[in-house]
Amino acid sequence: MILFKKIVLFLLIPFVSFSSHKYYVSLTQIEHNVSQNSLEIIINVDIDDLEFTLNKDYNIDLKLTSKNELVNADSYFKKYLKEHVKIIVDNKNRELNFLGKEYEGDIVYFYLEINNILKPRSFEITNRLLLKYFKDQQNIVKAKIESRSRSKILNKNNKIALINF
Amino acid sequence: MNKLTLLICICLTVSFSSTSQNTSKTPQKGHTDQNKFRQLKDLLPTPSNRRTASGAPGYEYSQQKVDYVMEITLDEANNRIYGDENITYKNNSKDYLEYLWVQLDQNKRAPDSKTPLSTSEKLSKSLYSGMTTFTKSNLKKPKEFGFNIEEVNKVDGSPLSFYINRTMMRINLPQPLAPNETFKFSIKWNYLINNSVKDGGRSGFESFPDGNKNYTIAQFFPRLAVYDNVEGWQNMQFWGRSEWALEFGDYDVKLTVPADHIVEATGELQNEKKVLTKTQRERFVKARNSFKDPVFIVTEEEAKVAEKGSTKKTKTWHFTAKNVRDFGWASSRKYIWDAMAVNINGKTVMATSLYPKEGNPLWEEHSTRVVANTLEEYSKMTFDYPYSKAVSVHADRQGMEYPMICFNYGRPNSDGSYSERTKRGMIGVITHEVGHNFFPMIVNSDERQWSWMDEGINSFVEILAELDYDPNFYTGNLPKDIVGYMSIDQNNLSPIMSQGDYVKNFGPNAYTKPAAGLYMLRQTIMGPELFDYAFRTYSQRWMFKHPTPADFFRTMEDASAMDLDWFWRGWFYTTDFNDIGIKSVKKFYLTDQPSKEAKEQADRFNLNLSDYEGQLVYFAEQKEGEPISEKRAKDFGVIKDYFETMTEDEKALLKEVPNFFYEVTFEKPGGLVMPIIVELTYEDGTTEKVTFPAQIWMKNDEYVSRVFKSVKEIKSFKVDPDLETADINTSNNSWPKKDKSRFRKFKSKIKG
Repeated sequence: MILFKKIVLFLLIPFVSFSSHKYYVSLTQIEHNVSQNSLEIIINVDIDDLEFTLNKDYNIDLKLTSKNELVNADSYFKKYLKEHVKIIVDNKNRELNFLGKEYEGDIVYFYLEINNILKPRSFEITNRLLLKYFKDQQNIVKAKIESRSRSKILNKNNKIALINF
Repeated sequence: MNKLTLLICICLTVSFSSTSQNTSKTPQKGHTDQNKFRQLKDLLPTPSNRRTASGAPGYEYSQQKVDYVMEITLDEANNRIYGDENITYKNNSKDYLEYLWVQLDQNKRAPDSKTPLSTSEKLSKSLYSGMTTFTKSNLKKPKEFGFNIEEVNKVDGSPLSFYINRTMMRINLPQPLAPNETFKFSIKWNYLINNSVKDGGRSGFESFPDGNKNYTIAQFFPRLAVYDNVEGWQNMQFWGRSEWALEFGDYDVKLTVPADHIVEATGELQNEKKVLTKTQRERFVKARNSFKDPVFIVTEEEAKVAEKGSTKKTKTWHFTAKNVRDFGWASSRKYIWDAMAVNINGKTVMATSLYPKEGNPLWEEHSTRVVANTLEEYSKMTFDYPYSKAVSVHADRQGMEYPMICFNYGRPNSDGSYSERTKRGMIGVITHEVGHNFFPMIVNSDERQWSWMDEGINSFVEILAELDYDPNFYTGNLPKDIVGYMSIDQNNLSPIMSQGDYVKNFGPNAYTKPAAGLYMLRQTIMGPELFDYAFRTYSQRWMFKHPTPADFFRTMEDASAMDLDWFWRGWFYTTDFNDIGIKSVKKFYLTDQPSKEAKEQADRFNLNLSDYEGQLVYFAEQKEGEPISEKRAKDFGVIKDYFETMTEDEKALLKEVPNFFYEVTFEKPGGLVMPIIVELTYEDGTTEKVTFPAQIWMKNDEYVSRVFKSVKEIKSFKVDPDLETADINTSNNSWPKKDKSRFRKFKSKIKG
């Protein structure tokens, strides 16, 4: 059997245990760039799950990776990321600049940036990506300053990661 | 031994003994063998004459045989199936059986099923709800699904005693069934068919807006459980996830359906003349000779006409199948039907598809061709496909396999457009489900116990078949694709060797991880030639039999002369991950001046290096900020002189003298052992790949060092440059450390 993930199954028959061939994991990597005084952020998310979520929440039909992909898909990505990912650096809420995206297989990579970050010491990252419809979603957050790395796994019950260096 | 060699020998011996001195004050404790390379004696069952130590079936191997004769009626108006089933059970074991166990899979969705009661639920985590969800999760009454067993009779028609424990039914035999004896009995049953889109399930029907239905039917009849010397009766309940263990046998099935339906099923159609039109039969003859393109048996235009009609009349389609472990079928008036011939080593096999117009344009373009490609590629890796056909049936939400027939998703948007992912998903699922004909339909492992033996092994061969269909295909099952899963929190991981029902993150655990592991074994650890011979041996030893994990592990070693116990133990029995990196690189140059360290080393043995002036070559470490007195090998008089003492023949055996020496220390924070693949990049930009076998970790599981000797200067080292070993952390793989991150690459790309 191939396992596939259509959320309809969850909503209608939450007792069906087979639901996913893949795993519900997103990865958010934050790295401090010393020479640019910036935070470089890559978020990768499963395209199918994201498309399902966006189509449902914004009442659109994105048709991602097809010839008919919505021309302004990026604007919905920006909006969704803004609503679902928040980064507080040293107690200050910082704006995320959306640079763009790349598709690779079943995954979309988002590139974001926060400028004017000199010597970050603590991050408070709120990550609610895909949690609304995917109960098993795990959102991994990794932060790196110089050569030191820290990581946290977030999920439905725990949406905020506090990372101190 | 000359003095020089003696000196080197002393240094080696002494430095060896000095590190082995015990300096800790607390008494040390002993330990049992925990080496990663210890054999699997503690995990594999003791070999026997039924299952040998070589991994082959032994001379006392036996398995039961179960034959079925069934008359099935589909009641389209009420969505019910009625069955009259006659079973012949042959006891080929040496045991007396007091009872038989029969699987009643439909009972998994019966109102009294324990499956919905077996999961934890919480309200406090979702405190708001839309009306649809609210109604469905709070107001829905359970439907009357599940088998309605009308009669269980002996051959003389008298009732046979039985007891139903949820999805398992025990047939209480009048007297124990002796070895080599046969028991015949019959079951009369019916059940309400589930809507597989709305109610879920691996079989059922999809309802279309015009009232038409697409029936994809399986697990529809009471099926005998497996009896063997591994599990006794394999009668673990069907909770919904872990699939089946089934016996081989012969089937004779008559399917009575509405007269305007098209039907495909496991087995060969016996009454073609009664159920197919003359035109359809003529087209079939064409299809049997068409090896390049599919031929339509029912065209889209004809299907569009058919789906507008309906009838009260019925037709009976008669199929027989030899040596199959199950039976599945599909029925609808909506079907377009195409077929083509496939040449499997001189034998013609039919590749066939059934799909409603909603499947087009994707299905007419790809389905049958993918079926054909899958049969060809899997046959190369295993054995010639032994059945007469393989059918791919379009189903909205399914991807499910049965002998000779499978149900597959992949539906374009209503305007006929589709994304690359829909197309890829469809090609992937058809390859996967048709591939299941080999594992587990023929190499018939116990799915209830070991999901990976059919899903994982099948997903592995699927990779090769997909890459053959399209070399740029994104298979999602390669070693690099399992990295994300293997790096998640250990609490959410299960070893592959776990029973499927309690496995966490089932998809990557039972499909991707074993597939990626076998791909790695083939491409990186064993090499295709050695792997393929062993893999084919396993497939052929166990075709039409019931293999266990040990039979697979043992055969792969037995046929290849490779001890893979370390790989099975790490990859299949633990949740360890691979992380190999470069801890340090020390660069040495040749000089005629001893360094401070060289002098200290000599001092320890009361050797005065000045006594050997002009006779030694010195290695000195290049340290930042320190001046170097480097000499190239060709400039050493001592080397030249030494060479001159050699004959031409002796010189011919030597390599060019290296100038650069790199002592590279590899670290292994990961728990798995793996080969170390290192790519060296030279000063002139050329590269070379060097591989050290996993056995390099035999004596030290944390650090190992190697010296790279080179004529040219080496600019960089990189571990696992082609992402072959599922290394979950590549940030320690390069020396010098790489600066060009994925982020910076992207940023420079968008800046142009």
